[in-house]
Amino acid sequence: MAGNQKAENQKADNQKADKRQYGKITAEILQELISIAGAAHVSADEEKLEAYSHDETSAEYHHLPEAVVTPTTTAQVAEIVRLANRERIPVTPRGAGSGLSGGSIPIFGGIALSLEKMDRIIEIDYENMTATVEAGVITNEINAASAERGLFYAGYPMSLETCCLGGNIAENAGGGKAIKYGVTGRYILGLELVTPTGEIVELGGKLYKDVTGYDLKQLIVGSEGTLGIVTRATVKLIGLPKAKADLLVLFQSPEDAIAVVPIIMTQGILPTSIEFMDRLSVQTSCRYLNESLPYEQAGAMLLIEVDGSHGDQVEADAIAIGELCAGHGALEVYIAEDRNMMERIWNVRRNIAEAFIVYSPVQSLEDIVVPIAAIPKIIPELERISAAYGMKIPCYGHAGDGNLHATLVKDPEMSMGEWFAVEKAALRELYAVTGRLGGKISGEHGIGIKRREFFLDLVDPVELELMRGIKQAWDPNGIMNPGKIF
Amino acid sequence: MHIIVPIKQVPETSNVKMDPVSGTMLRTGVETVVNPLDLYALESAFRLKEQHGGVGTITVITMGPPQAVKVLKEALAMGCDQAYLISDKAFAGSDTWATSYVLSRAIMELGAYDLIIAGERATDGDTGQVGPGIAAWLDIPAVTYAAAIESTDAGFVSCSRMVEEGYQQVAVQLPAVITVVKEIGAVRLPTLRGKIRSRSAEIPLIDAGKLSAHKPLWGLSKSPTRVVKIEQTTVKREGKTVVVDEHTPAEAAADSFMEFLAEKHIILGDRHA
Repeated sequence: MAGNQKAENQKADNQKADKRQYGKITAEILQELISIAGAAHVSADEEKLEAYSHDETSAEYHHLPEAVVTPTTTAQVAEIVRLANRERIPVTPRGAGSGLSGGSIPIFGGIALSLEKMDRIIEIDYENMTATVEAGVITNEINAASAERGLFYAGYPMSLETCCLGGNIAENAGGGKAIKYGVTGRYILGLELVTPTGEIVELGGKLYKDVTGYDLKQLIVGSEGTLGIVTRATVKLIGLPKAKADLLVLFQSPEDAIAVVPIIMTQGILPTSIEFMDRLSVQTSCRYLNESLPYEQAGAMLLIEVDGSHGDQVEADAIAIGELCAGHGALEVYIAEDRNMMERIWNVRRNIAEAFIVYSPVQSLEDIVVPIAAIPKIIPELERISAAYGMKIPCYGHAGDGNLHATLVKDPEMSMGEWFAVEKAALRELYAVTGRLGGKISGEHGIGIKRREFFLDLVDPVELELMRGIKQAWDPNGIMNPGKIF
Repeated sequence: MHIIVPIKQVPETSNVKMDPVSGTMLRTGVETVVNPLDLYALESAFRLKEQHGGVGTITVITMGPPQAVKVLKEALAMGCDQAYLISDKAFAGSDTWATSYVLSRAIMELGAYDLIIAGERATDGDTGQVGPGIAAWLDIPAVTYAAAIESTDAGFVSCSRMVEEGYQQVAVQLPAVITVVKEIGAVRLPTLRGKIRSRSAEIPLIDAGKLSAHKPLWGLSKSPTRVVKIEQTTVKREGKTVVVDEHTPAEAAADSFMEFLAEKHIILGDRHA
């Protein structure tokens, strides 16, 4: 009862926050922004603003900013934030807008502060194995710049060719290689941050170890742009693996496929990726790509990648995992070491989301995460929810780390009204099941606005108060990406 | 049925670099793959063998440096029965004429065969000459651009050739060379069983010594063609914008657009009238 009361209070608090009075961007303030960033980097033109009103979440979350500013230096960012703090204007930092939580959507209007023009690679330091880049750098460019010397940045997400490092840091993005290489946070050594009050601070450096006080840079990682604007980052680079091999393993049922994952994970060979795809996902993607993988016979597939410094070793590891799968009910095991064959397989995985958008653009792309031993238990629950609410829930994702993209897809025939009703109910049930299995509602996309309501329902009130305390200390006027997370 | 499939190791096309001085491709340190179009030749061979109830032998061969054994292993993992590596320093620098000669002589050493199936062309040299070249050296018929192959009776196969006007149906007496296009069908992936088998497979070497019964028409010195110059083409936009406004009515704009297209030979000029 006391818990419920507390939850009610939280909701009331939220509503209060939502009604908070923010300053508006007047002609004078627009002029001031122009004098800071230059006329070419400030716009209040509605056509231009549209591009800054959304990320990759569905239209219901979109909201226009009042102005967009694309500063080119950290000093400009700081000056803009000082102005915003003075005038109580909300600032929503933004990278490439490829987020999946609505984190970069300016839901209170104000300033959309895009780091897109701060896209320089400042230094690749081979002696320290680090790269220092501006926040607007497209993540894959770090790899392109360091590959010649046999290095790479391993923290990248699946969207590496379009997303910005700044956004990756804000969301602590992860991707298909996280089981071996971890997520963004593992590679962040140093940050340059503009605080919500407009100060510039350097956190960390080029150090592999650093316990000098609180680890504020790791607090920033995954803070969804609510504690400041990352303008520059120093990331750790590691040696590029020289050889890779992929296994595509076909199973009779999703249960069979998923059941093998914890077995693989505990054999001592750490794969780079274990991606799960159910039949619906594979089929939709294959049709979209006109690809002819033999999916008809399989209820689910695993895509497993191993990498390493020597081809023979990698091949032996791949074969060992392949044989393990064959011994645990795999219908067929394909193995690709030829780059084109590997691309073909990965293409199917990478295009699932895109293929479903073609089928039905209205969907809720989720990224629940459960402990790896609980992965097999989630599958029947998804089937139950999908049947109960009459929607397709293709399930695919990073099975090796328990992070699954169970995506709620609207039946194209269903009305939007019906959809909104079932979407919320189905999500609530999905999240409840996830919680019961010891999981959390977001493994890599973040809370943003999309999952805020659910997060507030589920979060421990003490944990929430601690988070709010941090937010209050960093951003006393609540101008930095307000309305996100809580 | 004995089918021989000559394949080529090519650089992975997304990172090809050229030596600006010699004009040749920089091959060191570049990741290599099975020439993508050769995969269709392999697939055709597998399908033909399946049509024959799995009876027959598929032999994959490649001419290249010792590392080219990698593409042979890949082909074995996909389902080939045996592989030969044709490799010798003396073969280095061979052009399509000399390469098809070496391949043809190596094939002669492999004993009787019914079909040689090759890819349409390699993605690096892009000539499409080696397949037909082998046929010429062996003095057997060549069918190019086959989109479908069907075995018929009495030592013939029937092919559907993809030509500009449509499809041409050809029956050819065996032995013959057939080069295939992508339309032949989706390529299968190598299996774990195949991979395990290919790891332990012996891949015999055919070097210049093994071809000593033949004239040594190989290597750079015997190659009649030379790469004289390689140029990077640049794409220039030479468009112009015609704006419809008070000075230029839509009809005049459309006329000048048509004139522009005719000038560039994109449309025939007389259509304008």
